[in-house]
Amino acid sequence: MIKTIDLGKTVQTSEGQLTILKGIDIEIKKSEAVAIVGASGSGKTTLLSLIAGLDTPSQGQIFLADQELTAMDEEQRAKARGEFVGFVFQAFQLLDSLTAIENVMLPAELKGDPEAESKAKELLVRVGLDHRMHHYPRQLSGGEQQRVALARAFASSAKILFADEPTGNLDTKTGATIIDLLFELNREFGTTLVLVTHDLRLAERCDRSILIDSGVITAEPIQAKASALIES
Amino acid sequence: MRLGLALKLLWRDWRSGELTLLLVSLLIAVGTVTTITLFVDRLQQALLAESATFLAADRVISSNQPIDPQILTEARTRGLGQAETLTFLSMVFSSERAQFAAVKAVSDTYPLRGELITSDKPFEFGEIVTSGPPPGEIWLESRLLPSLDVQPGDVLDLGVTSFVVSKALIKEPDKGGGFSNTGPRVLMNLSDVPLTEVVQPGSRLTYRYLFSGEKQALDDFQAWVEPRLDENVRMFGVKEGTEGIGNALDRAERFLLLGGLLGVILAGVAIALSAQRYSLRHYDHVAILKTLGATPNGIDGLFITIFVLLGLIGTLLGSGVGYMAQIGISAALQPFIPVELPAPGMRPIWLGLTTGFVCLLSFALPPLLKLRSTEPIRVIRRDIEVGTGSNRLAQLIGVVGTIGLMWWYSEDIELTLMIFSGGLVALLVLSGLAFILLKSGRVLGMQAGSVWRLALAGMQRRGQENTMQILVFGLAIMLLLILFLVRTSLIENWQAQIPVDAPNHFAMNISPEDVEPIRNLLVENDIRSQPLYPMISGRISKVNGEVAKEREERETQTDDQEERGPRATSNRNLTYAGEIPDDNLITSGEWWAADYVGPALVSLEKDLAARNGLKVGDALEFTIQGRQLDAKVSSIRSVAWDNMQPNFYIIFSPAALEDYPSTFMTSFHLERENKIFLNGLLREFPTMTVIEVDAIIEQIKTIITQVTMAIELVLGLILISGALVLLASIQASMDERFKQHAILRTLGAGRRLVMGSLVIEFCVLGLFAGVLAAIGAEITVYGLEEQIFELDYEPNPMLWLLGPVIGAVLIGLIGTIATLKVVRTPPTIVLRGLN
Repeated sequence: MIKTIDLGKTVQTSEGQLTILKGIDIEIKKSEAVAIVGASGSGKTTLLSLIAGLDTPSQGQIFLADQELTAMDEEQRAKARGEFVGFVFQAFQLLDSLTAIENVMLPAELKGDPEAESKAKELLVRVGLDHRMHHYPRQLSGGEQQRVALARAFASSAKILFADEPTGNLDTKTGATIIDLLFELNREFGTTLVLVTHDLRLAERCDRSILIDSGVITAEPIQAKASALIES
Repeated sequence: MRLGLALKLLWRDWRSGELTLLLVSLLIAVGTVTTITLFVDRLQQALLAESATFLAADRVISSNQPIDPQILTEARTRGLGQAETLTFLSMVFSSERAQFAAVKAVSDTYPLRGELITSDKPFEFGEIVTSGPPPGEIWLESRLLPSLDVQPGDVLDLGVTSFVVSKALIKEPDKGGGFSNTGPRVLMNLSDVPLTEVVQPGSRLTYRYLFSGEKQALDDFQAWVEPRLDENVRMFGVKEGTEGIGNALDRAERFLLLGGLLGVILAGVAIALSAQRYSLRHYDHVAILKTLGATPNGIDGLFITIFVLLGLIGTLLGSGVGYMAQIGISAALQPFIPVELPAPGMRPIWLGLTTGFVCLLSFALPPLLKLRSTEPIRVIRRDIEVGTGSNRLAQLIGVVGTIGLMWWYSEDIELTLMIFSGGLVALLVLSGLAFILLKSGRVLGMQAGSVWRLALAGMQRRGQENTMQILVFGLAIMLLLILFLVRTSLIENWQAQIPVDAPNHFAMNISPEDVEPIRNLLVENDIRSQPLYPMISGRISKVNGEVAKEREERETQTDDQEERGPRATSNRNLTYAGEIPDDNLITSGEWWAADYVGPALVSLEKDLAARNGLKVGDALEFTIQGRQLDAKVSSIRSVAWDNMQPNFYIIFSPAALEDYPSTFMTSFHLERENKIFLNGLLREFPTMTVIEVDAIIEQIKTIITQVTMAIELVLGLILISGALVLLASIQASMDERFKQHAILRTLGAGRRLVMGSLVIEFCVLGLFAGVLAAIGAEITVYGLEEQIFELDYEPNPMLWLLGPVIGAVLIGLIGTIATLKVVRTPPTIVLRGLN
């Protein structure tokens, strides 16, 4: 479902060239759940943004659902995102001027789906927010906002779900509820899941983990080394 | 789908207050423009209609011979109103006396514009009539009745025919102020002219063909006529026809246009600022939409749809507001405006609507187009800068839109390019200066107390934004100062042109023996008058020994066609004087001593000298009453022709012309209620001629009052736009301020400190902006007054005090009031919102 060949990302800074990622080769199969783990600044979020088509690499190729992302322009990448990809972010990223249901309707609306509203309702019922459909994000708790974001991620019938520290802004209990919900939905929809986290317990719930250290894949999956790296 | 989504986003943005400022800016932009154009349009129509009465028509063809009848047929087929007048000089005889008179024969449709006032008694306001005398009757100007010793009802002879004097003519619309109309007026019917047999081959006649109608029809007709007219035949309208009023109207129109233009720019800046803020606040939205699959083109489509919808709402509401405001203003001013305002046309409404959209597109589109280049990765890393991909295109749109709008408004590409390029240069220079000023602020700030340090450090930190803000403030203050200065000098210039006690009567043909008695009579009646100048007709016959005519022909061949001024060889009224007349300035040479005795010296008017290549020291020979007189040019002078006083091209030293028989002339000021004095004067000195220009001066004053009022109104409206720009600009920095001050408060800064730093920051910004505004305004006013308004530029030292003070006070005040909310909002709320 996802494949990268010799993927690299360098940026220009005032002190010269900075390599964020180098020689990344990964392959993720359909319906697989993969965690990308690593310390802060290791490059894991950059890797996620590259394979999700949010950013462009400096070198290498990315294939997403058998299409080469690296051969596309922003217009085509946006279309590909709309078609295959769903997102859940640490900071929820809801449009604060839209209500819960309007936020969930957005991806379907962008595709021109006439059943956007009924689908959104179903999903909000599914995540347990049927009583808060017409509330604005600022009227919802963090956990509720993330549930809206989950509903939105699945609203576009995405094939791949990218989650960037989805529990980072939540307390442990709420975080656990959200993760349960995420994995349940993932199973139900048969989605491929790519999860960026530094929470090893969360990573353990995935089929496997990819460990990033200073921009390269060190090994996979060496849990002990990962925990040592993360804790250091 | 897109429309639905756009509508939803629009509605949500509106409810969350994101669009309020943008919509209000748009509303005020369109409202201001519509109000100004509607009101100016009505006022202009009214002023033109009022001024048309000076010509008794909208357009006039003036000729010494009858024109091709085909032209009149054409005017008829085009549906234009038509009238004819024929003027000539002739003697009129009563049983006892005779008087030289300026006869005007008019057709039945005369006057097409304005009205005649007649009376049964001379010098008294009688009744308003809309046509001239019927055949067989004549009307005499008041002063002819005493000088011919006749009463209404008596009979006069003109040529070989007798006419009944049926009325005294109190006022005619197209009297004109020049000396060409010397002699009291006799008004008769055009169909009676052949009976009098006074019009013979060789008579000096002036035919005037009057036309009236819609402006477009008249313009078309004029375009058709002009190629068919002889060289010495002129067609003209109000502006060309009556010099003084034409100038005043022209300048006023330009000022109003300029005001409208600056209003549009100010409103545009307000729109641009609010759109910029709207865009800034939507980068995150766009990034989210993009992660959800929205393409860059889709984003453009979405936000353009939102803006078009917003534009529709804003412009429609704005023109509604403008229409209502204009009705209100007209109603409020109606008692002060002596003319009836015609109904407003549809054009200003269209102008307002289009302006709204062009403004929105050229000022709001550029920041909007930047949204498309928002990187979706912004959802993860907020520090990602928004790309500048569409900047060039966006700026191009802004520039084209601004120039286009200015051009459309002013219909004057010269004015447009001048203001635009001036503005651009000013912007570049000023941003450099603003940067330096900010730097100097840092040096100051380092040594100052903590409130100052906080304020100045804040300004430093947002250096780029603050440079922008100083520029915007500076621009707004500059535009206001420019308008204020130009307005002031325009109005002062007009008022100086016609002082309250300007002479409004000319007395001519005074015989030498009457000079003393008349001077005494004027003094006895406490009437302010100019000296009595002798008037002797003569011409220059030789220049430095060369026959003047031959010299003139030789000069004309090499002459620049552009050069203006009268020819030296024509017959002119000569005078002599010991003292230089009022408002005359020596430009070269020297004026003679008041008691000068010796060989004849002569002083020439500068245009006459320039046109004929005459200079100080040239030896001239004059032919006066068949005798030759040699004189040397001793000085060249400028003359204020519009000061309503006796003015001469050629003045001799006192003793030179004393031997020649002459008549005398003077001018004096007479209040309306003292006009009966003329009766006694003319009865006592029946041979003199009095030209009354008081009515014309009165009319010019009325028009100037109206125009001044219009100008002040426009200035007021622009002020509102200016304040709006300031508000928009402050609003644009609100998010940043909220954040900064919330953090400061959290760290323990007191309200007083935060408030103090805000006040200082705005006052300093205002002060800097004021300095820039003063520089910019001084330069621009110089250009405008010299090039566009043809006024004499004078530096404005007050500006250098006024600019910075206004800047500091105005911006300090508006800024502090607008940001009170920042201080009042508890920091927790701000920080939670920041997330």
